[in-house]
Amino acid sequence: MNSRRLLTDYMALALVIVGLVLVFGVSTQNFLQFGTFRNIANQIPDAMVVAVGMTFVLIIGGIDLSVGSVLGLGSAMLGLCLVRFEFPLPVAIAACLATGLACGLLNGFLVVRWRLPSFIVTLGMLEVASGATYILTQSRTVYVGEPIERVSEVAAFGLSLPFMLAIAVVVAGQFALSGTVFGRHALALGANAESARLSGIRTRGLTVAVFALSGVLASLAGMMQCSRLGASDPNAGIGFELQAIAAVVIGGTSLMGGRGSVVNSFFGVIIIAVLAVGLATLGAQESTKRLVTGGVIVAAVILDYYRHRLNKA
Amino acid sequence: MKGAIAAALVGLMILGGCGGQDAGPAAPGAPGKPRIALIMKSLANEFFLTMEQGAKNHQATHSGEYDLICNGIKDELDVNRQIQLVENMVSQGVEAIVIAPADSKALVAACKKAQDAGVVVVNIDNKLDEGVLAERGIKIPFVGPDNRKGAKLVADFLAKKLQPGDPVAIVEGVPTAFNGIQRKLGFEDAMNGAGMKIVTSQSGSWEMAKANQVVAAMITEHPDLKAVLCANDSMALGAVAALKSADKVGQVLVIGYDGISAVRERIKDGSILGTIEQHADQLAVFGIEYALEMIKTKAAPADRETPVDLVTLEQLNAGETPAPQ
Repeated sequence: MNSRRLLTDYMALALVIVGLVLVFGVSTQNFLQFGTFRNIANQIPDAMVVAVGMTFVLIIGGIDLSVGSVLGLGSAMLGLCLVRFEFPLPVAIAACLATGLACGLLNGFLVVRWRLPSFIVTLGMLEVASGATYILTQSRTVYVGEPIERVSEVAAFGLSLPFMLAIAVVVAGQFALSGTVFGRHALALGANAESARLSGIRTRGLTVAVFALSGVLASLAGMMQCSRLGASDPNAGIGFELQAIAAVVIGGTSLMGGRGSVVNSFFGVIIIAVLAVGLATLGAQESTKRLVTGGVIVAAVILDYYRHRLNKA
Repeated sequence: MKGAIAAALVGLMILGGCGGQDAGPAAPGAPGKPRIALIMKSLANEFFLTMEQGAKNHQATHSGEYDLICNGIKDELDVNRQIQLVENMVSQGVEAIVIAPADSKALVAACKKAQDAGVVVVNIDNKLDEGVLAERGIKIPFVGPDNRKGAKLVADFLAKKLQPGDPVAIVEGVPTAFNGIQRKLGFEDAMNGAGMKIVTSQSGSWEMAKANQVVAAMITEHPDLKAVLCANDSMALGAVAALKSADKVGQVLVIGYDGISAVRERIKDGSILGTIEQHADQLAVFGIEYALEMIKTKAAPADRETPVDLVTLEQLNAGETPAPQ
């Protein structure tokens, strides 16, 4: 990748972020300070890892609507393992991740076995996982407290362990996408499924692997959210899938498949988070927040359109 | 064939709402024994689940007097589905409907249709809009708590721990919810009355994670903030998590509303100051008792206010207001 590509690829979104930070900086008293950025960093790990999974799903031309409910189910599983069954932390985390992995594997299996559209399979999983969460928790908030809060309290330079973990996931995700056979095959599958199959790529296994990845990352996000809040909210993750898809699409990943970037999805997550925190700092009303967020999402995607025209020129 | 499957599905959905051990709603009730339909908001909400359990326990001990059909909707915004439920219950020929409306205006027309069909209607939890009721020319008795009064009660308790002029913030519920609006008004009554300064008031959408994000921003912008008043307990938990990561637990006081068990833990460890218990388990029971009375007397009784009680460390230590099981 030459330097000019790098510039146009990452600069556009970075500029949007800088622009937003400046706007909020001048319109509020205390936005421009370390505390704000630490807040943002500690609040986005869940969105970051879900966005990484979603980037791969969109790249192969699929969609995963179940990430929000799988996040909720993972968080509930973790909370119950710690509180009701009194399992040690590593076992509880393993159970949480295994739950997400199982949901993702099932999504992938259903998609390839009966050639179903992932939209409808994962929509079904969205309902099933949230139903399971309500049954498990009896719709009650599971208070966990200290045992899980420890995870978020590990910090360096004011940045929590979940944030550093999420950064590692983003880096690994980008490497897997642009530096490994797995990534190349995923891009080929999304660009043209038939020619990918004819060129010898095991498309079915690849699809299952991508959905499994998305599931396991969603439950990891559940663990991160639970550790930040000190409790499992049975209503956690409602609408989270749309936020994740928005972040990934802002980052220029195509809904049609075949094109995408994990790092740009990360920028997408930051844009949405800066907006949310900035508008809350301003004390904006809910209606204003929605209007502005919607407007910025669309504007960022339009910007992405021109970025691509620039690249082709 | 399709019809049979659809019928089976509808049956399953209705049965699923109530759990297996209840008298099946599809089964004809014993002669002379009225069937009462309880229509709630989201059963994904601890409050309504407790309400349902209270109603079921009551039915179990009064099984000779009436049969119960419970139903809830997917989330509190699913108004359309709740209207369908009212219509379904009317066509099933129940004697009475006890309803916690998801929307205080949109459900009035459906309730009027039910009344016109001869079904007794009792409104619980969230009061139907008086203007719309008057416009339609109908009367529906309301049984439920005064949210504004409850919010003022807990906020008054908070005010005693603050100095006049202290900056405070409110975390509201979903902006359209009647009970959320009432709680916000109650908070404002108490804070303005005690001379506190409300520096910001924003929605946390009833959710823990959303409130966490909003409160984290509030405390950066207003570093001198002394208290956060949350319109429900989930949001209070989210607020505490935000204070924890900013190392401000204890410096900023938090109150909630609903009395869920997780918040009782936080009251005991001192990170939440107080909340309000609305006795969800009794709410539907009061409504059902009213409905039974109305079926017998054919008269419409007056509204009835149910108790709201303050829950603080003092009450918990004294063993009062135990968490509903």
